[in-house]
Amino acid sequence: MNNGVAELNFHRLPETAFTALAAGRGDPAVIRLLQGAQQSKHTMLLHAIAEAAGDGDPADPGTVAFRAGYQLLTRMQATHPDASTWLLGLPHIGGWAHDGLIRLDQGLAPDFAYLICAVAAAAVRAGVPFELDAPVRDGHVLLPGLGRLAAGGEATWARLRYDGKHLAAGDGVMAPEVVLGPDYGSGQPVPHWRGTPAVRVLADGLAWDVLLVTDDPYLDRYTLPMSAGLSDHDLRRWRQLAQAAWEVLVRHHRWAAEPIATGVSVIVPLTPQSETDLISATSPAAFGAVATSCPPDPVIMAETLVHEFQHVKLCGLLDMVPLAESGAEQVYAPWRQDPRPAGGLLQGIYAHLGIVRFWQSQRQAETDPDHVLRAHVQFARWRAAAEDAVDTLLRTGCLTPEGVRFTSMLRAQEMALGDEPVPGPALQIAREVALDHRLTWQIRHLATDATAVSELAVAYRRGEQPSRQQDRPGVWVQEDVRKLGTSVRSRLLSMSYLEPARYRELCADGVLPLSGADRLLLGRDAEAAVRGYCDLITGSADPQPDAWVGLALALHRLPASALQDAFAAHLPVLFDLHSRLGAGHDPLDVAGWFG
Amino acid sequence: MNSLEEKMVTAVPDLRDFPLDRLAELGGTPLAHSIALYRERLKENGVPLSSFNARI
Repeated sequence: MNNGVAELNFHRLPETAFTALAAGRGDPAVIRLLQGAQQSKHTMLLHAIAEAAGDGDPADPGTVAFRAGYQLLTRMQATHPDASTWLLGLPHIGGWAHDGLIRLDQGLAPDFAYLICAVAAAAVRAGVPFELDAPVRDGHVLLPGLGRLAAGGEATWARLRYDGKHLAAGDGVMAPEVVLGPDYGSGQPVPHWRGTPAVRVLADGLAWDVLLVTDDPYLDRYTLPMSAGLSDHDLRRWRQLAQAAWEVLVRHHRWAAEPIATGVSVIVPLTPQSETDLISATSPAAFGAVATSCPPDPVIMAETLVHEFQHVKLCGLLDMVPLAESGAEQVYAPWRQDPRPAGGLLQGIYAHLGIVRFWQSQRQAETDPDHVLRAHVQFARWRAAAEDAVDTLLRTGCLTPEGVRFTSMLRAQEMALGDEPVPGPALQIAREVALDHRLTWQIRHLATDATAVSELAVAYRRGEQPSRQQDRPGVWVQEDVRKLGTSVRSRLLSMSYLEPARYRELCADGVLPLSGADRLLLGRDAEAAVRGYCDLITGSADPQPDAWVGLALALHRLPASALQDAFAAHLPVLFDLHSRLGAGHDPLDVAGWFG
Repeated sequence: MNSLEEKMVTAVPDLRDFPLDRLAELGGTPLAHSIALYRERLKENGVPLSSFNARI
């Protein structure tokens, strides 16, 4: 205090921590620095919501509950500081406070009453008695981070009483203290109480304790819905996967395991749209939580944890040190189907640095030939992708000076990985899958200058030389300028290294809906595939964007040539030029002329 | 090149040990400024949710 005015200090980040994070690392001590800043951030947002509550209707039950929760939290901060620290570090509270601020900015009231639930959870953990009114949702009072208590009846509010031993909601619904915690799957069901599913895993002396949250509205914030109502069978599967993934991480990726044990307190299981999808996500609003659909095996779960934890770390750092402006320019991100704002590219690059490092080590850990192939291809594919994306990011100029410094250090890490040898067949698959992704993206999202393309078509018909290099049609990013779904061929190319056994099985069946040219390509007869795609394109009255991508891939399998380069560098222009000319023109003639 | 001993001042006020019932005393000070900055960042950047499909 100074003259009655409280002084305010700001979190400081040691250069050693910044450097460690820029290297894609960060030990538990660094993670605790990030957690400390998040605790302060949540307090800051809580204060903004408290000010709004102070201006709100004093009789509103939500406002009344908020005030009661705030008072109890203030008391606990003095008497049980660990309890308030726990609460203010919860990803749930981060999500709630973040959404509350957004609602305030939209002129809407935040969900004031949620605070009382979180404070009650903290008080129960600390053994602090209380009696207060709490909101009832779906017949339960939610205690974030602990579980939920049946409230009985259909009331929307319940009197919640805790005497230090028993927790009661309303009249007669009571649970003893001994069970008032997360459910690790080892105990018997307890009437009225459902602990938040959790798992405690251990490998080589390193433990990790993590909640599996599927019922908190403020952690249901990802692109897919959380998997509400997981069955006992589902929970067993998640726990087994977590244990096995933890063994992979601890034994082969200790650099990642230790900080994950410190920094990830919640997994949000997601419901994928199809069984074959593996979707994972992170939100900067909920530091410490990662969301994922159920991974197919422990290695992929371990990779997903490494990947998403990279996002968690960067989100924490970005709250402390702005590294990028929003960056309006839309760019290609090698891990996304859609165009991305340049400012967001840093997240993907950072995540993929973790992925590359994961597969670098995992290559040595695998023994099954199919798994070895998968590890090599993943390493090679994402190493090249991250390098390219760093160049794109630095070109866009959307980084702050600290962002340029961070990204330059990050690039140095990638350069160091660049010399690692990769077996030829794996490298070939990695390059082909990357090319397929990039060209498919370009066909979807790169528009061309229609006037310039028309002029080219006229010149071609007249037998004139094409325009000079600098006068060639301009291209720019325009989302979904052409419709092109993910082809069966692309899925098979990915499957060839992600699930080689399944790939061999499907290829042997011969029942897949593939064109003849696709079959030739997958059968590694590149010359015949080139002819097949050319026939398909030449003989069709409709544009065949997928065949153009296939043709580029087939050419890529042949010795280097100008045609190969033209397809790799100018596919959208070649496609539009050929469409303008109409059927009957050989795409190789058009590309050779355009050269 | 920054010295490894250096510490960067960040955008987040350190409120860890600050009594909650006295936060209001900071209302017109850098805390309000920090909240305003955070709001501004949200408006500029939205919520940059990461979402990744490993099967692309």
